[in-house]
Amino acid sequence: MTRLLAGIVIGLVLADAVSAQQVPPPPPKAAPPPGWIDPRNPPKEDSAFTPARTPDGQPNFEGEWAQASDIITYSIEDPELERAEHTAISGQRPMVGRPIIDPIDGKIPYQPWAAKYAAFLHEQHRKPSSVKYLDPVSRGFQEGIPRINYQGTFVIQQFPGTVLMTYDYHHTYRVIPLDGRPHIGKDIKLWMGDSRGRWEGNTLVVDVANNNDQTWLQIVGGFHSDVFHVVERWTLTAPDHIVYLATIDDAKVYSRPWTLRVDFRRQKVEEQWESAIWEGNKTPEIVSGGGER
Amino acid sequence: MVDRYAVRSLLTAVVMTLAVAASAQTTSPALPRTPDGRPDFSGIWQAMNTAAWDIQDHSAQGGVPAGIGVVVGNEIPYKPEALAKKRRNYDDRATADPETKCYLPGVPRVMYMPYPFQIFQKPGQMTMLFEYVHATRYIYTDGTQHPDGHIDWWMGDSRGRWEGDTLVVDVVDFNEDTWFDRAGNFHSDELHLVERFTALDRDHITYEVTVEDSKVFTRPWRMSMILYRHREPNLQLLEYDCFGFDNAFHPPLPQSQ
Repeated sequence: MTRLLAGIVIGLVLADAVSAQQVPPPPPKAAPPPGWIDPRNPPKEDSAFTPARTPDGQPNFEGEWAQASDIITYSIEDPELERAEHTAISGQRPMVGRPIIDPIDGKIPYQPWAAKYAAFLHEQHRKPSSVKYLDPVSRGFQEGIPRINYQGTFVIQQFPGTVLMTYDYHHTYRVIPLDGRPHIGKDIKLWMGDSRGRWEGNTLVVDVANNNDQTWLQIVGGFHSDVFHVVERWTLTAPDHIVYLATIDDAKVYSRPWTLRVDFRRQKVEEQWESAIWEGNKTPEIVSGGGER
Repeated sequence: MVDRYAVRSLLTAVVMTLAVAASAQTTSPALPRTPDGRPDFSGIWQAMNTAAWDIQDHSAQGGVPAGIGVVVGNEIPYKPEALAKKRRNYDDRATADPETKCYLPGVPRVMYMPYPFQIFQKPGQMTMLFEYVHATRYIYTDGTQHPDGHIDWWMGDSRGRWEGDTLVVDVVDFNEDTWFDRAGNFHSDELHLVERFTALDRDHITYEVTVEDSKVFTRPWRMSMILYRHREPNLQLLEYDCFGFDNAFHPPLPQSQ
């Protein structure tokens, strides 16, 4: 009874919070590209679709893929607003993808103290007072999960017991064991985290732990701590379409778990030519006017 | 008259020969093979030598273990002006070695750095993933040729073919910014490699590479070494993004309280 009452009280508080803060974002003002898949209003899935299988029986989603959700890593929260200045000056097409589907306002649900730091980083991104407040990817470091998945094209290869993802950008790779082994020890932190996969029906579920606290989710900030934890769900919903859901929690920084959705479309498979990023990267020097990287 | 001693000796010899043959069979099991019948190089590998410091014979010095070189015959046939440059590189190695800048290390250097790498194998492509600066090599074994024109790549362009059970990889399209080792051995953008990967048994690969570069060397030369399979259970590649360490450039997160 006590538990039930507590549940009702929490429910009322949550409902109040939702009505107070979480208003769904307005539809995009700019026209998204043809074939765009709106993460908030996705096409109906064919529930009868059954993916082909690899020789060892995994649902086969080998091939080359790219996001079709019009996401730019500049901002996943509100790219039209954040880049309005850029698009006005340069004439670039505004990109409209807002992948955060929960909470419904499309914003990262920071704790109050973290919202202040996020606002500070947002302020810094236009004219950093130090290179250390510049986007880590602009400084040549790896993207982390989930950001790499909306950075560009990537190739999935499947092997018995392993899924391999190789990304065009910065020759980044992910080796995802499927054999049920535990995560590596908690004292090892990685830019790309430590991935463990398993199949739930036709969905590849990947648990990503051991993340360092240095990657960002977007250029305008979007930070997390070293307890950042991601559960990815990769589902082939049609021969040429993957639905990707990433549920993210970080008890030190976010007020609640949150979820982003990205839709991937199959691409023509092409050779992955070298993408050297660190070598000769001058962004930090240009931004800082000095020698720091 | 039958010499019993001779018969017994003969029998003993026959039995021993059979035993040796049998034990040879049990110690050399068939190589693992992929479904298309090629030797299966899948796994995590690492060289166990000191070529990362110096590919030639060298004595120990501070921070450098002594080592027997991997250059066949130990001599690298530099042109005279190139030998002078190699010596300057050696003198300036603390700052001039591209490894100190954490750049992609090039081929063949990445093959014998003291860190693990992993091979994934499909009929048309071998994928090599390296722990060091998360470098990758895609070796196309689908009959395609190098792309047109010279391309300046750190890791070159690799096209492989099978000669029996040996994977032969032709590599061109290098820039001139990588070295062979920490001792200043270098090349130009005309570097052309022919690598030969031959399974010695299921846990060892003989790795040979012929180096050709007419701007720097008077003739082709060769390196040879063994790659060893890691057999630790649950071993995996981690990250050695050596450019990402400098804590001075990483702001600590503000305290939440």
